[in-house]
Amino acid sequence: MPEPLLYAKDIHKSFGPVAALRGVTMAVGRGEVVGLLGDNGAGKSTLAKILVGLYRPDRGELYFEGRRVNFRSPRDARMHGIEIVYQDLALVEDLPIYRNLFLGREPRRALGMLDIEAMKREAEKLLREIGINVRRPDDIVRRLSGGERQAIAIARAVKFGAKLVILDEPTAALSVKETEFVLDYIGRLRDRGISVIFITHNIFHVYAVADRFVILEHGSKIADLEKRCVERPETIVDIIAQRLRPDQVGC
Amino acid sequence: MLPFFLLRYREFGVLISVLAIAGAFSALSPRFATLDTASSVLTITAEVGVVTIGVAFLMIAGEFDLSVGSVFAVSGTLLAYLVAMGVPEYAAAALVLSAAAAIGLANGLITIRTGIPSFIVTLGMALFLRGLLYAATGGFPVSYKGEVLPVVFAERVGDFRVSGIWFLAVAILFYFLLHRSVFGNWVYATGGNRHAAKAMGVEIERVKLVAFMLSALMAGLGGIMYVSRFKIVEPVVGLDLPLEAIAAAVIGGCSLMGGIGSIIGAALGAALVGMTRVGLVLVGAPAYWYITFIGIILIIAAIINTRLSRYA
Ligand SMILES: Nc1ncnc2c1ncn2[C@@H]1O[C@H](COP(=O)(O)OP(=O)(O)OP(=O)(O)O)[C@@H](O)[C@H]1O
Ligand SMILES: [Mg+2]
Repeated sequence: MPEPLLYAKDIHKSFGPVAALRGVTMAVGRGEVVGLLGDNGAGKSTLAKILVGLYRPDRGELYFEGRRVNFRSPRDARMHGIEIVYQDLALVEDLPIYRNLFLGREPRRALGMLDIEAMKREAEKLLREIGINVRRPDDIVRRLSGGERQAIAIARAVKFGAKLVILDEPTAALSVKETEFVLDYIGRLRDRGISVIFITHNIFHVYAVADRFVILEHGSKIADLEKRCVERPETIVDIIAQRLRPDQVGC
Repeated sequence: MLPFFLLRYREFGVLISVLAIAGAFSALSPRFATLDTASSVLTITAEVGVVTIGVAFLMIAGEFDLSVGSVFAVSGTLLAYLVAMGVPEYAAAALVLSAAAAIGLANGLITIRTGIPSFIVTLGMALFLRGLLYAATGGFPVSYKGEVLPVVFAERVGDFRVSGIWFLAVAILFYFLLHRSVFGNWVYATGGNRHAAKAMGVEIERVKLVAFMLSALMAGLGGIMYVSRFKIVEPVVGLDLPLEAIAAAVIGGCSLMGGIGSIIGAALGAALVGMTRVGLVLVGAPAYWYITFIGIILIIAAIINTRLSRYA
């Protein structure tokens, strides 16, 4: 196996008496989509927050592009190229798309002025790439559908150099059509060599795009399966529900 | 003619209100649609307007300033005292503006450090300053002895006063700051969704501090313009100003929740306030009707804005 983009080794994290992660080891390859699964409270979000520098692990090591890293803040992780897209998306609903896309990283002209033409031009290009060319850069985010917003939030992360994008339940609030749109967009990110960790409860959503599935339970990893070894999404449901042991899934 | 292309949906509401009120006063009084009246309107609009623009900017960043009336009065009075003590007028004005900005900084630091709503913090500041002012003046008016600032801020040029030019300059400056600068983008984001702004690396505390300072600074400038015109300040001046300025900002399309509003809207809101003040006098209404009238306009404007925002 070539060197993974991200390697997390023996990660522990407790909140007081609650052991949220009890020694999880996982890797994400370049251009790989990893589905991170598990029941409520399994530790998925906690692991994600450690990967983006929001929490610091009690024990364990992180390697990114082969080098040991120690994220002190989300800014640290972002500088390395790891971004998380939260479910609430971090978009300002009353601002137009183009202003959201560049929020905090605005292209400047003299005297701290915005380069509005450049912003709109780039925004237009990005909207075409995402495949929502019915939208204008000037459109207020409040008017967009949930799927469009999700895609824009992901596109913003990628635009600013993310090599690994973590999506925490990106399809939870979306309609069937919007979900398809977002899944399709995730597939296109992989084609561009961008890695994705996709956290979800909906195995059917992640099954369509993931290359590998990592399943957590009570803070431990109980399975790490290549997509090609899993014939049907129901198999994963069975593992999570403990009707099936992971070692019974042959490959 | 107004540059219509600069207007967004939200500003159409206030533009229509301005035109409607101007039309109504013109119908009621033959003296309304004259240069003389326009000049009075612009003079009042200028003083209320610089304050309104500062307040609107802060509201868009998600905070309130109820201390602008006290800052306005303290600035005028302090200027008169300093000049009476022999401080050169420009230096006195610079000191007064620095003092105003420092008050804004205090408002901002207390709000941010304690997490108390700015509504309360600035109300406290307003009372505190007003009390100091009463104590310092003994309740008596203070007259202004300088000659230079009255020329700079209130001289008549033809039918109009130069204060109109100051107002225009402030409006243009703030237009570029809010709508065209990187900082302005942060102001909207901070007021619109501070979690999102923070997640994207915007230093929302710094943004708010600057906005608090600008609000107080503009109130100070308003006070200087006022004392330059009347050459006397009563310690009760500006008691209604905070609510007038907030009303003008809301009439101009600012949201009380932050993140929405514009400089052109705020300026038009202030113009509406100026027109109403002058117009009611011209049609012979007793002076106290003014605030009642502003109240009615405020509520109607708020309704129009809510309706318009559905289409924006
Ligand atoms: N900040 C925190 N303080 C205390 N306990 C926490 C905190 N964050 C998470 N936990 C606990 O850690 C455990 C793992 O939580 P986590 O949010 O990672 O689960 P999850 O797999 O994302 O669950 P879900 O599918 O419900 O989102 C849970 O028992 C949770 O209550
Ligand atoms: Mg979670």
